[in-house]
Amino acid sequence: MADGLKLGDRIFSSRLLLGTGKFSSTDAMIRAVRASGAELVTVALRRFHPGRPVDDVLAPLAAIEGLTLVPNTSGARDAGEAVRAAQLGRELCGSPFVKLEIHPNPHHLLPDPIETYEAAKILVGEGFLVLPYMPADPVLARRLEDLGCAAVMPLGAAIGSGQGLTTMSMLKLIIRDASVPVIVDAGLRSPSDAALTMEIGGDAVLVNSAIAAAENPELMASAFAAAVRAGRDAWKAGLMPQSDVAVATSPLTGFLAGGEAG
Amino acid sequence: MSAAPADWLDPLPWLDLARVADPSMVERSLRANEPGVREFAALLSPAAASRMEALAQRALALTRRHFGRAISLYAPLYLSNYCPARCTYCGFSAGLRIARHKLTPAELEAELSALKDLGIEEVLLLTGDRATVADYPFVRDSVRLAAARFPNVAVEVFPMSVDEYRGLSVAGCTAVTLYQETYDPVRYEHSHLSGPKRDYHSRLDAPARALAGGIRVAGLGALLGLGEPRFDLLSLFQHATHLRRTFWKGGVAISFPRLRPEPGGYTAAFPVDQKFLAQAIFAFRICLPDVPLLLSTRESPRFRDGMAGVGISKMSVASRTTVGGYDLETVPSGQQFDINDHRGVTTFCAALEAKGLQPVFKNWDAAYREDTASVRAGNARQI
Repeated sequence: MADGLKLGDRIFSSRLLLGTGKFSSTDAMIRAVRASGAELVTVALRRFHPGRPVDDVLAPLAAIEGLTLVPNTSGARDAGEAVRAAQLGRELCGSPFVKLEIHPNPHHLLPDPIETYEAAKILVGEGFLVLPYMPADPVLARRLEDLGCAAVMPLGAAIGSGQGLTTMSMLKLIIRDASVPVIVDAGLRSPSDAALTMEIGGDAVLVNSAIAAAENPELMASAFAAAVRAGRDAWKAGLMPQSDVAVATSPLTGFLAGGEAG
Repeated sequence: MSAAPADWLDPLPWLDLARVADPSMVERSLRANEPGVREFAALLSPAAASRMEALAQRALALTRRHFGRAISLYAPLYLSNYCPARCTYCGFSAGLRIARHKLTPAELEAELSALKDLGIEEVLLLTGDRATVADYPFVRDSVRLAAARFPNVAVEVFPMSVDEYRGLSVAGCTAVTLYQETYDPVRYEHSHLSGPKRDYHSRLDAPARALAGGIRVAGLGALLGLGEPRFDLLSLFQHATHLRRTFWKGGVAISFPRLRPEPGGYTAAFPVDQKFLAQAIFAFRICLPDVPLLLSTRESPRFRDGMAGVGISKMSVASRTTVGGYDLETVPSGQQFDINDHRGVTTFCAALEAKGLQPVFKNWDAAYREDTASVRAGNARQI
């Protein structure tokens, strides 16, 4: 695979990850997942409901071929709860991945850096491929990388806020210094946000609300997929540098080219 | 008894605005980036009533953003209707000659099974005021029984101490709902004639004690109709924001019980009509966009369907307000209030789906809690 997203020992061709909450129906969610071409989808352990097809999100996702499930620990308030949720998620899903998500405040849902770090330490030790959702903090990103996390997932803005990349300057630092993939998660509103993330060198994006809350989630999912591909291609092609001043066609220093003669 | 409410609660500075805000203040509040109590007051005003469609559109957008196209469902389960308190509006009031019953553990198991068969995964356990026959150990043991089979177990019982709430939390209680009924101390006194419930301040501080005891979510509400509605709604708003500031990990949820005009029933001193109730719910959604807002089966199918996803993010379904209402139909028991939406789970879910809303039964897992090895094993086996 020429340009794969490498997470642990696994390589994925799609750089768009999908969250599976907030959809109007399981059917609408499945159609969006298919349209997105995503190979990794996160699924909340708290929404697993074995034996209740009308309420369970796990079984219909597990039936899609080529899809890797990433159980998430959303709802956990501290490291202990997250670790227990991750263990049960692995038991039920059989996936090596866990999206580590700890938000002690149930209203703004921002991640707790301290509990996330503590839980990541335990889960890496237990052999999980840990994808930690985290504040866009370059120091924390390196700390989590040093622990052995398979990627880091800094937020673009608060979950569900649709504010776009409000943490842009920190994201650029994280991307510049990371040796593991940087997956920007949360806050993205439009495909152009996703394209921009990829253009600045982000390795992947995770989108949920922007697709689930769209008037046509299926179409929005394919729009995000196209934007992620375009942004990735743009990054590979190399963007021309920005400049604050016009660049003269005849350079001002052209007269220096001829050497000392004349 | 009638001591002035605490500073954080005092609605008086905002009451005039809630009564006489001008249209420009309403427009500003609708567009505010960070709406607070000032904007909330303006959105409760008569002037805002002429902008209902704009309020509803904003409420819809915010509900969708924070809760998605989904409605969480729960059902109430009455453990006992014994009550030592005489409250003027309540069907369980001490003086009333109704059949009284308290569930035995076996009866509770049967009720839980009946709810489980309906597909319910979140149960709200209720009793009357603290009574010798239905006391703290009875509630705690009932929670423990329910938590062995339901991921979410909430209680709507009587005010407790921090230690008691901690005990409930350990037993598996995830949320405590406790309505202040009315925040007006004088009206409160007039409505609560005798019994432990007469203590306004003990009740007012109970949600804070619940959060201090480790309960995840405190559910608040005013029984609309008992007091002046704008006074009560402003106080409720202040109560919610105060708890959020005090307990940064604490969740707050708000319900909207309303005394409806019932033929031959209790007459509310300040009747709240459907339109003002909707306005209040929109105002809460706009000013507290990430707080769960609940609507019960006290309201009619038409109103519930209209409000689902438009401010409201969580609803009860298939409710019975009698003790033993789900399984023990032979047990005689009075009901606490009249249900107006009698639809079963399937019919109600079909109505939600027709609106493009996904009914969500399970949104939590006992595996998150410590000491749940047996629950985990049960969950894993089912797959």
